[in-house]
Amino acid sequence: MICVLALIVFGVLGIFSATHRKIAAEAFDCVFRRVTFRKCTSNLDQRLKSQITGRLMRKNVRLARIVFKNFEIISWTLLIVFFSSMIYSGYAAYNYAMYGNCYGPESDAFCPLAIFEGETSSGYDSSYTGPVVFPDVDDDPSIGPEDAKVTVIEFGCMMCPYTKEAEPVVQNLLSIYEGRIRFVYRDFPLSKKHADADWHSEAANCALEQDMYWEYREGIFDMQEMCESKEDHILELRKLAERLELDMDEFNECVDSRRHKEEVMNDFDDGIKAQLKGTPTFFINDRRITGPKPIKAFTKVIDEELKK
Amino acid sequence: MINVEKIRKDFPVYDRDIKGKPIVYMDSACVSMKPKQVIEAINRYYNEFPACGGRSIHKLGKQVDEEVEKSRKEVKNFFNAKSEKEIIFTRNTTEAINLVAKSFKFNKNDVVLTSDKEHNSNLLPWQVNDKIEHRIFKFGDVEDFKEKIKGVRMVSIVHTSNLDGTSNPVKEMIKIAHENNALVMLDAAQSAPHKEVDVRELDVDFLACSGHKMLGPSGIGVLYGKLKLLEGLNPFLVGGDTVKETTYSTHEMEDIPERFEAGLQNYAGIIGLGEAVRFLKKVGLDDIREYEVMLNKIITEGLKDVKGLKIIGPEEPDKRGGVFSFNIEGMNPHNIATMLSESSNIMIRSGAHCVHSWFNANKMDGSARASLYVYNTKEECEEFVEKVKEIAKFV
Repeated sequence: MICVLALIVFGVLGIFSATHRKIAAEAFDCVFRRVTFRKCTSNLDQRLKSQITGRLMRKNVRLARIVFKNFEIISWTLLIVFFSSMIYSGYAAYNYAMYGNCYGPESDAFCPLAIFEGETSSGYDSSYTGPVVFPDVDDDPSIGPEDAKVTVIEFGCMMCPYTKEAEPVVQNLLSIYEGRIRFVYRDFPLSKKHADADWHSEAANCALEQDMYWEYREGIFDMQEMCESKEDHILELRKLAERLELDMDEFNECVDSRRHKEEVMNDFDDGIKAQLKGTPTFFINDRRITGPKPIKAFTKVIDEELKK
Repeated sequence: MINVEKIRKDFPVYDRDIKGKPIVYMDSACVSMKPKQVIEAINRYYNEFPACGGRSIHKLGKQVDEEVEKSRKEVKNFFNAKSEKEIIFTRNTTEAINLVAKSFKFNKNDVVLTSDKEHNSNLLPWQVNDKIEHRIFKFGDVEDFKEKIKGVRMVSIVHTSNLDGTSNPVKEMIKIAHENNALVMLDAAQSAPHKEVDVRELDVDFLACSGHKMLGPSGIGVLYGKLKLLEGLNPFLVGGDTVKETTYSTHEMEDIPERFEAGLQNYAGIIGLGEAVRFLKKVGLDDIREYEVMLNKIITEGLKDVKGLKIIGPEEPDKRGGVFSFNIEGMNPHNIATMLSESSNIMIRSGAHCVHSWFNANKMDGSARASLYVYNTKEECEEFVEKVKEIAKFV
């Protein structure tokens, strides 16, 4: 059985090295002969067996003896472990391709395949150690019927590039499930990472007073990159309100008074209690999806919830 | 008496280690290690006079000729041949035997007799020769030899077997062969490096050996032949330096031995072989033989009672010289060799040792073989014994 493992291992190494290519060819011959019920004539299996046990003899003769005597069993075990991990890796790769995470749409556990992407959400490191409290809709702005079977709550930071990245998927979902889901946006401003993020949330709430919340929120996403480079964010927020033709006296008074600060902080606290690890984080009923993900990750969960 | 510590200082290979462990080389029946005297002789050719021999009359060419003839003389003395003309340089034993097999003027259906324990080098040249009839006798069995010798044109036998180190009683066999008008060709690849081989005392007609097994370089071998017999051979390899004169349709062959040494020769190898022979004579072949038997006694005594271990050949070490060929029941010989190499840098040979015919006839896959030489030590043999004992417990 060691020849099967050797074929795989040396086959891969053989791509880069001629020496390993020769061993891979021997391993292939050995495997081919075995599956056609013939004796492996290259003695590769015996060579590998004695090389491994010979090296073990340097360290521990007793261990070497055990390995030599049980080599076939060990080979089978390694083979089973190898193929199991291959199947599991294949499943993880499928999940990653479909849902953007190795472990499925709802998991926010570390996915090794995502290391090539870098960060997938604006991370937040909380010191909260209490129980997980799933958030409710509170009195935050929403789209869709209040009695919808499925509620999608997004905790986002308007200055977070990942929250912005997830926005097209959100819009797509609202279009696909129009009338069947309720979407709620709650603030989780990451002010330590993104300067004045809390002011942006408060300003959006001021726009809500004039029924222009979603347009204003969209406007912030549009000027996100520009805002990052500006020093006076408040001025930019006022300019955005002007462009959207809001009542500027009312808007300025609202922003200056910071009367929505408590509301924004309340959202933030609820996010902490829900043990958010970053933005955006979505709660589809009580099922969590962290970071921008392919739309399939959302539709799978929403469809399952709708079927309940 | 062998001073092994002094001798080992002449072998640069012992200055190195592999992964922090010293080398324990016990595969000298395949290739021996090289003393610095041989390496320096080879280097001297390449550094000082890397020119043509036998053709060019300039100073460097002359120096090549002188050094080659010096080596030829050393080899002639080593085998106690009558004349340097009887010494032909070949690539190795295999080529030397092939030279006789292909150049000797056999008549149709002449019989060639070999033993049943021949190296492929002394089996194939006769098997593929469709002019002759090939017969075999039992190795070492004089009675069987006497029975089979009738009507034989040539006997081609191994002197000492590379498989187990045992020797044919060649002096007696040569006498019997000559009494029956048969010529004798001796494969001395395993005997010449380890004991005195006197071609005149043996009265052997042809003898072949390799430089690489007797401390010399690889790619050089020797064919000895009685001058009269060499004169009757029809060279199978001809070309450069084998002729005195040619026209478009005729040629005049060169004298012996040059007529058998076609093309530009391995001068560095020839000079290196001369130095190897000098080294062996200086150490003393009788002492070498005695020393190897003493080492083999340590191994044999240490391992003969190990459960499952079977020695190939007689149990008495003095009948096997420096060769300890063995099997451990239930274990592939390649496993033994690999484990010794991987665990302790002990290097032995495994497999059929190019004597497949004997192993097939005896229904065996092969054996593990430790072959000793003048540079091995008692401590190495003791370590070998300990490691083989450990491995035997794996089964």
